[in-house]
Amino acid sequence: MRRREILSLGVAVGAVPAARLLAAEMDAFPHDMALDPAFVPKPAPGGAPQVLTRDIDRRTITAVFDRFIPGDELGPSASAAGCVEFLDAQLAGPFGQGATLYRAGPKAVGEDALMQKPQFIATPRERYETGLRALEAYARRTHQGSFADLKPEQQDAILTGMEKGEIELAPEVNTRAFFELMLANAREGYFADPLYGGNKDMAGWKMIGFPGARYDYRLYADRTGEDLGLEPVSLVPKA
Amino acid sequence: MSKTRKRIALGAGAAALIAAAGIGIWGHRALDTSRSAVADATVQLADVRSADRAAIRRGEYVMRAADCAACHNGTKGVFAGGYRFDTNFGTVLSSNITPDRKTGIGTMTERAFFNAVRHGQGSKGLLYPAMPYTAYARLTDRDMHDLWAYMSTVAPISNAVDENAGMMFPFNIRLALAGWDMLFFDPAPYRPTAGRSAEWERGRYLVDGGGHCSVCHSPRNMLGAEKQSRYLEGARIGFWHAPDLTANAHVGLGRDTDADIVEYLKTGGNRTAIAAGPMAEVVEHSLQYLSDADLTAMAIYLKSLPASNNPRPDPIGAEPPAMKRAALRYEVNCSACHGVRGEGMGDMVPPFAGNQALQSADASSLIQVMLVGGRAASTHHKPTGAGMPSFAWKMDDRQIAETLDYVRNSWGNAARPVREADVARMRKAASAATSLPAN
Repeated sequence: MRRREILSLGVAVGAVPAARLLAAEMDAFPHDMALDPAFVPKPAPGGAPQVLTRDIDRRTITAVFDRFIPGDELGPSASAAGCVEFLDAQLAGPFGQGATLYRAGPKAVGEDALMQKPQFIATPRERYETGLRALEAYARRTHQGSFADLKPEQQDAILTGMEKGEIELAPEVNTRAFFELMLANAREGYFADPLYGGNKDMAGWKMIGFPGARYDYRLYADRTGEDLGLEPVSLVPKA
Repeated sequence: MSKTRKRIALGAGAAALIAAAGIGIWGHRALDTSRSAVADATVQLADVRSADRAAIRRGEYVMRAADCAACHNGTKGVFAGGYRFDTNFGTVLSSNITPDRKTGIGTMTERAFFNAVRHGQGSKGLLYPAMPYTAYARLTDRDMHDLWAYMSTVAPISNAVDENAGMMFPFNIRLALAGWDMLFFDPAPYRPTAGRSAEWERGRYLVDGGGHCSVCHSPRNMLGAEKQSRYLEGARIGFWHAPDLTANAHVGLGRDTDADIVEYLKTGGNRTAIAAGPMAEVVEHSLQYLSDADLTAMAIYLKSLPASNNPRPDPIGAEPPAMKRAALRYEVNCSACHGVRGEGMGDMVPPFAGNQALQSADASSLIQVMLVGGRAASTHHKPTGAGMPSFAWKMDDRQIAETLDYVRNSWGNAARPVREADVARMRKAASAATSLPAN
């Protein structure tokens, strides 16, 4: 225990030491201002995939993501912006492990309705593994081809069916929830800080005019109705 | 609390050899302790029972002014010692100065106490000049008597400290300090200067005596002794730069009024500066307890010092690409607290515009604060103790150097460029985080 802690403790319980240093030590706050390693952002590691290790899984999710956000004059496609790398890094970390989710059993009948949201014992990582395999099997079963090789209209038809709950990929897959999961992760990859693997060159931010990880906007708060032309700034910029 | 480890160069090396020459060293003036004869040599501190409440109160004030608590402090309690000083010659620990008989100074007599505090001659031998007896030598007999009375009221704490076990040979031999003392130690009492006011004299007494300001603010020579020719002109101390305290208008106190200086010493900050790092500790432990009259006296004395020769360099213009990059980086990372025009935030966040210490040639303190963050002093008047976060994880060495160049050369400021290599060196020395890969 450190001296200041001892002193503040002494004051708190009224056990005042004989030669107490008056009220000098009011500062019970931490003096170490270095960022706790637990709070340092974890960049996407780059390199070989950690979770989406099967080529076919990567082809499938790439095709799905690029139907969600196709490349056009507004910006690059989801995969070109790094969303697959983003997803792989996230699935390899606490998100993939469902670290913040309650996953202990039992899962009762009717629980999804009760919680107003699908509930899972499986982790997001496991849901991707089973979901992508089921999607690929579904495409082969219904279109005699790999999902990634289907025409965009065919892909859209399958994705639309998943979204509307008109298709069941496999009995063990909550198809609609899997669609929602992929859509949410594609968006996150496109708009999260480039540190995390997606949003390459801040393409997502440039597309929507988001100025990035700036701390303060007092310089601009009064300039309403004006194109401020602010270049986006990432969390750890190159410049 | 992450205590700053003060690195004080202890120049015992060559001095040891000089001492070994043995030219009647015990007769040398630097080692003459006859001044201590005014103190009692019979009663041990642990047996002292002073009933003189006024003397004890004055003694506490002397203790505050001399900032004994800052260093004679560790994990075992106030005055129990164990505070580390990392020097170029090894590590020395502060001693236990509680009246504990076995591990403290309980068996010291007042005369032995005088010898230790004013002459650097302790119960275990000569003291290392990490203990500023070089400054405490100026303390008056009365202040010493009062300090003794106060120390007798301190609760004994058992904490055995082997002060010099971490010193390298031959610096672990205390007798080596005799040579150092002979070369550099002036044991003379405080001498008034003709024609000066009582206030000025009191200020100088506080600055040079108990305050021991020059220990950090004066540069030292190769042997760790203060360079008298550059008295209070600013110096590097460990990871920090203790700024110029002369009337230099660019990096010193030249543009501060007496009231500015008093406010800084009393509260930890004023309109141009906020104490952080080792100076925050000095304000918290010591200066905030001094009377306004004494702080004003210190200000008057400091303001009377002739301006140092630290010149104002030509500022770096706003045009170079590095400065433009840094301008955006400042807006994005710094302006929320330090202001879009470097104006700071009242009593909490120091301004940059017109901040003299910020423009010191030595940018160590600034690099340090960028890398590991910092805390403003927390005082009775300004208790917030606002924090500066570390940017080590977010900026690489070049970006930190550029950012400092920007704040040191904007809004009318002018300072020498910060070298990227210095940031890299300090990042390593301070074990600061490596910056994340940039995107």
